[in-house]
Amino acid sequence: MAANYWESTQRKHWQFTKDDLAVIRQRLDDEDPTLVQMFPLPPLRHLNIYFNQQINRLGKRLGVRQQAMATAQVYLKRFYTRTPIRQTNPYLLVTTALYLACKMEECPQHIRLLTQEARSLWPSDLHGHDASRVGECEFSLISEMHAQLIVHQPYRTLLSLQGEFALTHDETSLAWTVINDHYMTDLPLLHPPHVIALTAVLLALVLRPSGNAPGAGGGGAGAGGGSAAAAAAAGAGGVAMAATALAQAQARAAAMAGGGGAGFGSQGSQQQQQMGFSQGNSQGEAPAPEPKKVTDPRLAKVQRFAAWLADSNIDVEAMVDCTQELISFYECHEQYNDKHTREQISRFIKARNLDK
Amino acid sequence: MENQYWHHAPLSFSKQNPTGPRAAKTYGVHLTLPHAALSSSSSGLVHQYAPPAGAFPVFHHLGGIGAGPNVAMNQAKRLRAEVSYQPRPYPADRGTGSMGYQSKVRVTDKYKVVGFISSGTYGRVYKALGRHGQPGEFAIKKFKPDKEGEQASYTGISQSAVREMALCSELNHANVIRLIEIILEDKCIFMVFEYAEHDLLQIIHHHTQQPRHPIPPSTIKSIMFQLLNGCQYLHTNWVLHRDLKPANIMVTSSGEVKIGDLGLARLSYKPLHSLYSGDKVVVTIWYRAPELLLGSRHYTPAVDMWAVGCIFAELLSLRPIFKGEEAKMDSKKTVPFQRNQMQKIVDIMGMPTKERWPLLTSMYEYSQLTTLQPPISHGGHHGHHHHHQHGQHYQSQRHASSSSAGAGVSHLEKWYYNTINQQTSSSPAGTPTAAHSPLSSLGAEGYKLLAGLLEYDPEKRLTAAAALQHPFFSTGDPVSANCFEGLKTEYPCRRVSQDDNDIRTSSLPGTKRSGLPDDSLVRPGKRVKEG
Repeated sequence: MAANYWESTQRKHWQFTKDDLAVIRQRLDDEDPTLVQMFPLPPLRHLNIYFNQQINRLGKRLGVRQQAMATAQVYLKRFYTRTPIRQTNPYLLVTTALYLACKMEECPQHIRLLTQEARSLWPSDLHGHDASRVGECEFSLISEMHAQLIVHQPYRTLLSLQGEFALTHDETSLAWTVINDHYMTDLPLLHPPHVIALTAVLLALVLRPSGNAPGAGGGGAGAGGGSAAAAAAAGAGGVAMAATALAQAQARAAAMAGGGGAGFGSQGSQQQQQMGFSQGNSQGEAPAPEPKKVTDPRLAKVQRFAAWLADSNIDVEAMVDCTQELISFYECHEQYNDKHTREQISRFIKARNLDK
Repeated sequence: MENQYWHHAPLSFSKQNPTGPRAAKTYGVHLTLPHAALSSSSSGLVHQYAPPAGAFPVFHHLGGIGAGPNVAMNQAKRLRAEVSYQPRPYPADRGTGSMGYQSKVRVTDKYKVVGFISSGTYGRVYKALGRHGQPGEFAIKKFKPDKEGEQASYTGISQSAVREMALCSELNHANVIRLIEIILEDKCIFMVFEYAEHDLLQIIHHHTQQPRHPIPPSTIKSIMFQLLNGCQYLHTNWVLHRDLKPANIMVTSSGEVKIGDLGLARLSYKPLHSLYSGDKVVVTIWYRAPELLLGSRHYTPAVDMWAVGCIFAELLSLRPIFKGEEAKMDSKKTVPFQRNQMQKIVDIMGMPTKERWPLLTSMYEYSQLTTLQPPISHGGHHGHHHHHQHGQHYQSQRHASSSSAGAGVSHLEKWYYNTINQQTSSSPAGTPTAAHSPLSSLGAEGYKLLAGLLEYDPEKRLTAAAALQHPFFSTGDPVSANCFEGLKTEYPCRRVSQDDNDIRTSSLPGTKRSGLPDDSLVRPGKRVKEG
């Protein structure tokens, strides 16, 4: 339903497993293998980053609200689970997704203005397109999404949890940034919004908010909202702390569920190992799994969070997965090459006359 | 304690629904928009692309793979020469590349239009049957293109159509009209709904026909319960209907009440702009809540509940309880105070007071209340409150005779009992029939429910959930899920006109097709006036 995630079309039709997504994407590639061979594209993760940035660039030019940009991100992801990228002009899709999302999020933009801005942003790839093309593409977009246009975002959950976890302003804005970043990954197609939001809170608690985060590399990204990547890189110890918190929560939840105690410790540490894969130079900041007297206020918050999590029915497994996904995204982000991505996209657009 | 903190999970955080999304999921082949099923056949089709010279090296590079570059190349060239930029069968480039958008299903292939139902500002509604054995009947709502008559290009879908499509796709409740699918075709939007044979306007109208006879109390009770049930569903999901009125409340031939026309509905948690701005016209004025009339900028579910109260009253008396005249917007596009409508409310409900409605004095149009006439302390004949056109003299006299406390007194109770006791025949009010009016069985609980819905203070007004718990429904006869249960008479079927059932033509009545001289239009026969 409209405001209930559990009854929503988002949960019923647009939440996938990783395997689902792999199968879907393979099927799309198989629709026309020659095309795939002719026009190699950067890894999907890089495409995701690129598309994300394009939506944000266009949105920022027009002063579009974050919420609408986020919805546009999800529209684009949904659309590309149903249509091979190479059959489309991604810039047209980016423009259309934002146009439609603005209407859905009650901050409509005029189609002509939006098209005009898009054309000046991507002059060579979108020169042949006018407002009517955006209008036409809107039909495709809605049709492929089966008119399921209501998207549940993690932002609202975050705001409602602020008080619960006594988040400082910095922590909230870091969590907000993590949520912004997760649109560069497949996570919106994989996990419910509250799982994302809680993961973002956890990461914000363990990754020390760095006052003025240096914009995360990647040319063009520029105003990408101060990605949390830098913070992540600096806070490998924090990752270990996150792992521990999640393991604790899981163990406690399991213990409360009443299934004997033996296995949990090991399960927990296993989790910790999984999570800690990136902590090459961990400063050993991770606390021991056993609760001890806590003096660090940050640690206290993390433990409180873990306890809260244990008392809830939250799918901690999913949070573990989210955390891993985000951490590996931040790593991958460092190899991202904006120019290369842009060129490869332009190549098939030009070759296939999709710009006309 | 944790669950109350966010909206996504009002009930519980079930970890993973065992029968959940994974098992149930069928990508794209689910019920709404079944045309997606066609996509499974797409593998055999050749996609078109036309590599220019620059792409050659790629072919060489991939030389050894698959069918070989030359075959692919030739094919690509040939296709480009023959069909690019032409409309073609599925799959197109889906409107996203150089090819045009093509619907995968055509509305006339799938549905047989059997007649025209109605038209409005949104567009037109047709009655249809499925061509492929889909059970039941359908109502297809065709949205009017933004620019009538001229459909040369796509201009973007209106925000209200986007809202309606999105909301209807999510809603799923027995008392809300069900969306079957949406077809986007030829620059038009077709929303296919389940068909309902009746609506409340039509039912009320039927009872005003001679001899005028009241709607049976069991029917009223069932209608009200189902209507409230639908409202509760909408409101717990943060959906505000904003345009509840008898014409929008559908009733199926099996007596199920279904809230329809969500064209003005909004999600109440998304007021990026206050809901007031944006749309100037909201809720037919007779059903408009007093807080809106007094300038409230925010819609709440209470707005819908006022309308439900008005509908209840109308089911009892067969005429709108507050039948005001709408003040039109002036040339400066300022929204006028709807004095006449507010007066109609005051005539029956008494003046709103800050004792009854503490936030009253902070209403934007509060000062306007002093320009209204206090209610007349007459017998409260329903629908006959037309006495305010009197001169100043009479007015001041009346002022003198009614204390300020008296002005706040509600005449609703009087209205209610007059209504339920007099609704027996078409005879003038002066000759009440000796027999008990059938409506009198609704009794005191009926009044209490009505008064709870028509409560001035939106915060005190009954919510849909509270109204469903009202003793009105638990006393007397049990409420039937079929509002026609036990009725001897049948209501006439919805009128469907035959002379305009070409759903594909773009022109609406009175509009011209571009590029054609007037007299080249084939004029349909004279249109039958709809009842």
